[in-house]
Amino acid sequence: MKTTSLVTILTLLACSGSHLLFAEDKGTVDFAREVLPILSNKCFVCHGPDTRKKDLLRLDSYEGATKDLGDYQAVNPKDPGKSEILVRIHSDDDPMPPKKAEKQLTDRERDLISRWVRQGGKYASHWAFIPPVKKKAKKPAGGNEIDVFIIDRLKEKKLELASEADRATLARRAALVLTGLPPEPAQLKAFLADKGADAYEKLVNQLLASEHYGEHQARYWLDAVRYGDTHGLHLDNKRGIYPYRDWVVYAFNSNLRLDKFITWQLAGDLLPRPTLQQRVATGFVRMNPTTAEGGAIPLEFQAKNNFDRTETLGTVLLGMTLTCARCHTHKYDPIPQTEYYQLLAFFNSTAENSMDGNSYTYAPVIKAPANQQAWMVWNSLNADGKKLLAGLKKETAAALEAKDANKWKNGSLKDRLLLLASAGDAPEKDEAKKIVDAMGKSSGSFTTTLVAKDLGKPRVTRVLSRGEYNLPIGDPLQPGTLSIMGAFPEKAPRNRLGLARWLTSREHPLVSRVLVNRVWQRVFGDGIVRTPEDFGMQGQQPTHPELLDWLAVELQDSDWNLKHMLRLMVTSRTFRQDSIRRKDLDDPENKLFARGPSHRLDAEVLRDIALWASRLLAPEMGGEGIKPYQPAGLWSALMHPASNTKKYVADKGEKLYRRSLYVYWKRTSPHPMMTLFDAPSRESSCVKRSRTNTSLQSLGLFNETQRVEMGRKLAERLLKDAGDDRQRLDLLFTLLACRTANENERKACQGLLDAMRDRYKDAEKDALALLSMGEAARDEKLNPAEHAAWTQVAITLLASDLSILLY
Amino acid sequence: MTPANPQREYDLMMTRRQLFGRTALGLGTAAMANLLGPELSAEGKPTGPHHKPKAKRVIYLFMSGGPSHHDLWDYKPKMQEMFGKPLPKEVRDGQRLTGMTARQKTHAVAPSKYKFTKYENNDRGVWISELLPHTAKVAKELCVVHSTFTEAINHDPAITYIQTGSQVPGRPSLGAWLSYGLGTMNENLPSYVVMHARSRFPEQSLFSRLWGTGFMPSDHQGILLRSQGDPVLYLSNPKGVNRKDRRVQLDTLAALNQQQHEKFGDPEILARIRQHEMAYRMQSSIPELMDISKEGADTFKLYGEEARKPGSFAACCLNARRLAERGVRNIQIFHRGWDAHGSLPREHESQCKDVDQGSAALIRDLKQRGMLEDTLVVWGGEFGRTAYCQGGLSRKNYGRDHHPRCFTVWMAGGGIKPGITYGQTDDYAYNIVDADGNTLRPQPTKDKWTPGTMHIHDLNATILHLVGFDHRKLTYRYQGRDFRLTDIHGHVIKELLV
Repeated sequence: MKTTSLVTILTLLACSGSHLLFAEDKGTVDFAREVLPILSNKCFVCHGPDTRKKDLLRLDSYEGATKDLGDYQAVNPKDPGKSEILVRIHSDDDPMPPKKAEKQLTDRERDLISRWVRQGGKYASHWAFIPPVKKKAKKPAGGNEIDVFIIDRLKEKKLELASEADRATLARRAALVLTGLPPEPAQLKAFLADKGADAYEKLVNQLLASEHYGEHQARYWLDAVRYGDTHGLHLDNKRGIYPYRDWVVYAFNSNLRLDKFITWQLAGDLLPRPTLQQRVATGFVRMNPTTAEGGAIPLEFQAKNNFDRTETLGTVLLGMTLTCARCHTHKYDPIPQTEYYQLLAFFNSTAENSMDGNSYTYAPVIKAPANQQAWMVWNSLNADGKKLLAGLKKETAAALEAKDANKWKNGSLKDRLLLLASAGDAPEKDEAKKIVDAMGKSSGSFTTTLVAKDLGKPRVTRVLSRGEYNLPIGDPLQPGTLSIMGAFPEKAPRNRLGLARWLTSREHPLVSRVLVNRVWQRVFGDGIVRTPEDFGMQGQQPTHPELLDWLAVELQDSDWNLKHMLRLMVTSRTFRQDSIRRKDLDDPENKLFARGPSHRLDAEVLRDIALWASRLLAPEMGGEGIKPYQPAGLWSALMHPASNTKKYVADKGEKLYRRSLYVYWKRTSPHPMMTLFDAPSRESSCVKRSRTNTSLQSLGLFNETQRVEMGRKLAERLLKDAGDDRQRLDLLFTLLACRTANENERKACQGLLDAMRDRYKDAEKDALALLSMGEAARDEKLNPAEHAAWTQVAITLLASDLSILLY
Repeated sequence: MTPANPQREYDLMMTRRQLFGRTALGLGTAAMANLLGPELSAEGKPTGPHHKPKAKRVIYLFMSGGPSHHDLWDYKPKMQEMFGKPLPKEVRDGQRLTGMTARQKTHAVAPSKYKFTKYENNDRGVWISELLPHTAKVAKELCVVHSTFTEAINHDPAITYIQTGSQVPGRPSLGAWLSYGLGTMNENLPSYVVMHARSRFPEQSLFSRLWGTGFMPSDHQGILLRSQGDPVLYLSNPKGVNRKDRRVQLDTLAALNQQQHEKFGDPEILARIRQHEMAYRMQSSIPELMDISKEGADTFKLYGEEARKPGSFAACCLNARRLAERGVRNIQIFHRGWDAHGSLPREHESQCKDVDQGSAALIRDLKQRGMLEDTLVVWGGEFGRTAYCQGGLSRKNYGRDHHPRCFTVWMAGGGIKPGITYGQTDDYAYNIVDADGNTLRPQPTKDKWTPGTMHIHDLNATILHLVGFDHRKLTYRYQGRDFRLTDIHGHVIKELLV
């Protein structure tokens, strides 16, 4: 099938107006990859799953296409040349699609369809609805299984992988991909000095073990689930849900299995004896924007909230838009409207009001640790408690059960520990009391967070005609899943927990593919499926279908181990390639992955790198969203006088310098330095950020208060830690680019430095003005002119592509 | 690895960028392919709009909160006789009400307390209230549509609906669509500018989604031109840094980035060098734009002395004209405070005073500069207000709730017929009626449009048409669907076009 995959790529490229990569091929047509997308895009609007008239031709199945329509068949498998479709797509008098249709066939699409029909008109399922199968891959020397698939495609082009990036560049790349920060200079030095064969793996393991790892990985998830610190609609008041964000960080750092990660978020409250973590995780279900606008109608928002949750589930885990099916059976993908509402029914019985009351504690809420440190304490106390109980002698356990069977069997950990503490003669008694006391003390500083909880009596769900909240039709529906993606697991409960089981079952064709594609996307810059939000028939085909499937199954085989998957990816030879554009290949979008990743880094990373390099980065993790400097009046210009987010008050002290993951996320007006660099508003799910390149970004990089502050603190570091110009430039380049400057760069920087020295030598007032930007104290022992000159150099370097790009 | 020929590389990159949309990224590719239509995109030739545009630019004066059509535009003398009497049931005819007045015991008719005058136009004439004396003087330029309608009955959904085509957040705004379609004529200024005008009643929130890009690349987002601090965020150099210093910095930066490009060959690096240069130029072009000291006495006679006060609506209008002159094609002014649930007279009098002279001056000014014919000006809010009173009713004071079934929007210039009045409503300005007075129940236009009516999708379709785009063809693919500003609806109202 090698030739067909070439055609696939060609088809994709034809759509993007580029014929540069491959020559045309006239081999066997692959229905699922080449024809189905055309039928979906151009024909299904009338002849697809949502066909209005019952007797109208259906092209979404073999049975439909070959149906006897009197004296002809659209596709005639016995005598393909007589297929009506061949006549109609070439007809001038009575063409298909009709002349007035918005989407017409191109010549090459006509050609593909014709060839497919002449080759027998066989149907095959859309690839994404068939569960992935792992093709055996033999590890090549110096790489891993991933490389097999990449190299195979390159061989077809008689190409090889690019040469390896130099080790320093690789260290920077791996650190940024895994932790969102460059490597520490000492770490870099040790790595470069380590000539062992496993030196790189050691570095990767260090990075995976860093607590910055979880912070960085969490950010992508928070984009997908649309995490925000405000309700998002109308007054856009504050919402207390940051313990959820901190839990996500904790989950990644502790490498919680991804199937559990999903299950807890969807249904942690429905697990037996749910832990605090499991309940906090259900904040996911509560993440939809909400309103309490005076005139709003509760029933309308009950429907809207449910639409939002159902469709977000579609984007985040199924890689599929379900929105179409809200109003009618999906035009392209086989998702009937009834199934949409059955899926929605899982969410229709949660206990919160459909209106948020503009309340921070929009019930149901529970108390949870208020920052990462508190989470660690709590989790370790819980582990201690569990360990203690697990280690009890049988007799002790039996005695406790006899004392209070219900509490012993069904109570929380704390209940059970209390039972133990009150047991007269158990030797663990004191230890139990100690743990319970510590838990009490720890929970004293807890804060509230929104969680999911089901109503005692479920709400009735019906199909809503045209998606109108006040037009329910048909019989009440029981919660159910999408049949095209496999059966609902036997014996699973018909609630969110059952939904989670379905999603994380091995047979589910999409979830592992969708997740692993996004992991790939953040490592390599672009996904194997370039439309991570759409794996349906309208989405793009995977560039390497077998690789995607291999990874998806490997994720399952590894017990949903994310660190394992990331380790595989960053240690692959593919990742380790140089990112230099190749002369022997015109592949601007790197669809062959024949060079290393390169792209502008995300908004948060740009800020974090500068905080880190300037040693301003505060180590505190988690807690209420922090508010860095922001130009005055941005919130008040938008907000209703009754909103409690109409006034932005910047924080003071160390909160100004926490990682950007913790920046307060007001959904109707996020921090401008975030939106300037493509961060989404988090009003709706985002699984792929755009990467724009604008002049306003330049203004932000050079003029924003914190950028200048970070520049002057970085300059301070250079002045203190290194002895002369040369050494200082070396340190600056090492921090930001993991290498020293070449002679041209050195010349350029020296020129700037000298010019600025000259500039500030007799202008102390200007120097001091520059050095007063931001709150951080200036080291007054430093000569202001010298400090200001170096500040200008640091700001420039921080804004340069040496710093702001992955390469 | 050095590219063999940097100039060629650059040219190649620029071609690719034009081809692929605004950045050399995948998303732009699909967008452009869609924009071109299948045949053209297969050819790979970039092209402009779908047809010859009548308007080169759009200035949208958005009255957030929902101005009362009863008190400004839609003259209903018969309501006077009904003062305080319950609104007849058949008029309301099942209309769903907001949670604010649904449970109100009576829905007493509240006639406008303002005097209306009929002004001559090129059509049947237009009645305008005494609250808009300046606007009345340009009546011959306006196309006044009384039959605008929506389905949304609350602010957040309604304003999101009219600005993005969907009541739920997540889609690109009208401005983003225009930016996506139109591009820019002046690289030293942002292509899409948004201003917030001051109001004494800053009620109802605005949201960055109203000028945001939803799932489109974020470089199409509206850039705020502010009256407080830097007019454009982060425009000014830090304290202690002058323009010369920045020049040296940028030259150094360019040298460093050039090195980076020579090594990696990534065309985005060259594009970024250009963006840094553009930012540098913007640092002088924006202050020049904002400097109104060279505007003559005539200007302030026209716009009023208020126009000297940064952040006033009049000042925003003057800025809008200055932006338009400089090639900015896509300008929006948001003015809050029209949500008059109680004390409507007090609030609307102040609101009208804010916007009346500026709006009218903008029309006249564009006209005298020969720019009105290719500048589309739109004035309106997200819905209208009820015929019945919310809260206490007296001859002097009353309030009105939100009303989706009809409201008044006007347009001028840019290919719109000047001086016409379009559509009409019943004696209570509650329902749209046809010329014979029969009640119409229009739905959003999908297949069948109801003549005489203008759904908000029709308004947006008409705006796009005027700037050269077929609203059905200006699409952006996301999640497998070719999204449009007008969703699956919309009808270009030809009756309004020159």
